[in-house]
Amino acid sequence: MAETKQQAKPMTALLHDDNDLPAFDASNVPERLLSVLDVEKSTPLALVKVDPLAILKIIKHARESYPTSVNGQLLGLEIDGVLEVTNAFAVSTQPGSEEDMTSYQVEMMQCLREVNVDSSSVGWYQSTRLGDFMQQPLLDVQASYQASSASSSSSVVLIHDTAKSEQAGNLSLRAFRLSPTYLELAKGGKFTTKELASKGLTYGNILEELPIHMETSSLSKVLLHELQWPSGIEQELAESLQRPSSFNAKLRAKRLIDRSAVADDTEAASDSLDSSLSGLVPSRPTAYLSRPMCTNALDLSQGQSGSASLLRQLETVGELIDEHIHDAHQWMYWKRGEAKEKNRRQQHVQRRTQSNAARIARGEKPEPELTEKELDKMFKVLPEPSRLDALLNTANLNLLTKGITQSRGPALAKMYLAQGLQEPAKSQ
Amino acid sequence: MSMLHLNLPSLASGSSVKTGGASSAAAGTANSTTQQCYIHPVVLFSILDHFLRRNDSQDRVIGTLLGVRSDDGRVVEIRSCFAVPHFETEDEIQVDMEHHGAMFALHKRANTREQIVGWYATGNKLSKYAALIQDFYSREAAPFSAVHLVVDTDMSDGQLPIQCLHGSPIGIGAHPENCLFLPLPYELQYPDAELSALQTATDSADAQDGVAVLVSDMEQLEKTIDELRAMLERVTTYVHSVCDGTTQPNNVVGKYLMDMLAVVPKIDPKQFSTLFQTHLQDILMVAYLTNLTRAQLNIADRLQRIV
Repeated sequence: MAETKQQAKPMTALLHDDNDLPAFDASNVPERLLSVLDVEKSTPLALVKVDPLAILKIIKHARESYPTSVNGQLLGLEIDGVLEVTNAFAVSTQPGSEEDMTSYQVEMMQCLREVNVDSSSVGWYQSTRLGDFMQQPLLDVQASYQASSASSSSSVVLIHDTAKSEQAGNLSLRAFRLSPTYLELAKGGKFTTKELASKGLTYGNILEELPIHMETSSLSKVLLHELQWPSGIEQELAESLQRPSSFNAKLRAKRLIDRSAVADDTEAASDSLDSSLSGLVPSRPTAYLSRPMCTNALDLSQGQSGSASLLRQLETVGELIDEHIHDAHQWMYWKRGEAKEKNRRQQHVQRRTQSNAARIARGEKPEPELTEKELDKMFKVLPEPSRLDALLNTANLNLLTKGITQSRGPALAKMYLAQGLQEPAKSQ
Repeated sequence: MSMLHLNLPSLASGSSVKTGGASSAAAGTANSTTQQCYIHPVVLFSILDHFLRRNDSQDRVIGTLLGVRSDDGRVVEIRSCFAVPHFETEDEIQVDMEHHGAMFALHKRANTREQIVGWYATGNKLSKYAALIQDFYSREAAPFSAVHLVVDTDMSDGQLPIQCLHGSPIGIGAHPENCLFLPLPYELQYPDAELSALQTATDSADAQDGVAVLVSDMEQLEKTIDELRAMLERVTTYVHSVCDGTTQPNNVVGKYLMDMLAVVPKIDPKQFSTLFQTHLQDILMVAYLTNLTRAQLNIADRLQRIV
């Protein structure tokens, strides 16, 4: 019991037990990983590959603290422009000092390295509720990730929308990076209209979206198959079909467990622990006849949560539009002030030249011309307020409206589906 | 104190396991055995990932299961897990307790609610040290008993059986090595949000190269409708074959079908058409307004560039 640390070392060194650490030989490295060794070469990031494990961890974290927005670290590796995200861990939402946070992340990564998890940070994730994730803090954090020297070329932020994933029955996960244009402007710290126009930064290209692929390991594939068709289900199914009484038992065992995070939200943030445990009544597995993995994709979402979330989205759109108008007014105000000053300045110069012309005509000595500097001093033009806030606001508005428009398509399709279901009843 | 050495008493007489603590723990758990277990899919994926990343010389991995319990400790919900390095030889097993403690402390900071509920291992049969490890985790999970999850990564019969066990002391006198593992009924839990991810993962498993692209909601809906049609087709064929007399009718299936048909709500056609029309207008209105907003934003942006 006393030999603690001495024991720990041989354990981690087990890997190299028999080959006594030979000189590093690149030919032993799998071809796929060769590019990792090439430190100088840099391929731009083009694709994000996510392991189901990382996605599930993100979803779990986001779901459990819904509707609070949460974030965490992504671990993985970048190979040849493909960012492989293989693991993730949650970062506490509780307020703590900066040092605490950093030490927590470092310790966690050390612990994970001991069990051979990819220990290099490749970015972070954040959950969102309505889709308006374009906020100044997000950009700042991402900028710091992309600026850190170790992983300058490869750092993404994954945005996950819990409510959308649940309602549409389709995973909502997007990967973003800050565009070079934004980074360049952020370095100067000047977000004036002129700069924005000359660099071509609009609300659409602050972030670059990267395509996401999901890659499943062979072992996970077996697991997925097992989850869909557990071993022995066919036999059990055949048996249950022979027993007329089994039907009634299964009807009773319908959805005892509250599976949705969104539903919790409407019930005045009830303690999700209690609500999930109160449902844990020993019961038969719910429905054998349907596939166990059956999403909400066909839900008409006319229910409470569906229309409520649309309502909330529209409210937010309204607020954002108000803000947008406010921003526009402010800018106009500034523009008017600037134009007035410019006008006065021009008038002053004109007057000066006129009076000089008159002096020359009278044979007097003309007054010296005013230099640009003197003019600037006399007529102070207020600097343009930063356009960044307005820009982010516009970007959010764009994201939100786009999301709503896109969600209307499936809603329309589902409505016609419902109509198709009602029609034969009409003809009878 | 950081490394837990567990020796089988028959092999090493000077065992360092605290038997006194074990007996009291066993007594405490006797009246609150776990009866039902719920497992979140993320746990299984974590275990497989840990198994894939094991060291060369290892053929089994173990780790700690975290989750929540009902007040009486009868129902356990396993929500997450983490790996614990260990080292196994013929007559000794070492579990890195320092790592276990550090990881649990870190976990606590991000998720205060989850406690230790048990441990997992891979392999198709129980390790001979399972009883000893079980004893340790029972003390960690006190006052409740620990749950043991076994995932057969050997896939001896081409499947990946998952077993949930709980230990029960047997024999006269409480010795940590006297433990009988009894199967525990378990059920997998699929929260809605996870389902969407698993759906995509299943798509990737079906694909040739094991890669799935995230699709838009519309494409997902299309896929689901296709599946629905296939199901309807199957049912229709079955019903026809029963009507023709080629297939033996089955009452249970008939009841299920009746039940399904009864789910379709009966709405007055007139009422339905009004509902349909108003809703259609709502949808179109929302779509129109949002599109208009986007067009406005675009114009504003372009105007700004001219200025």
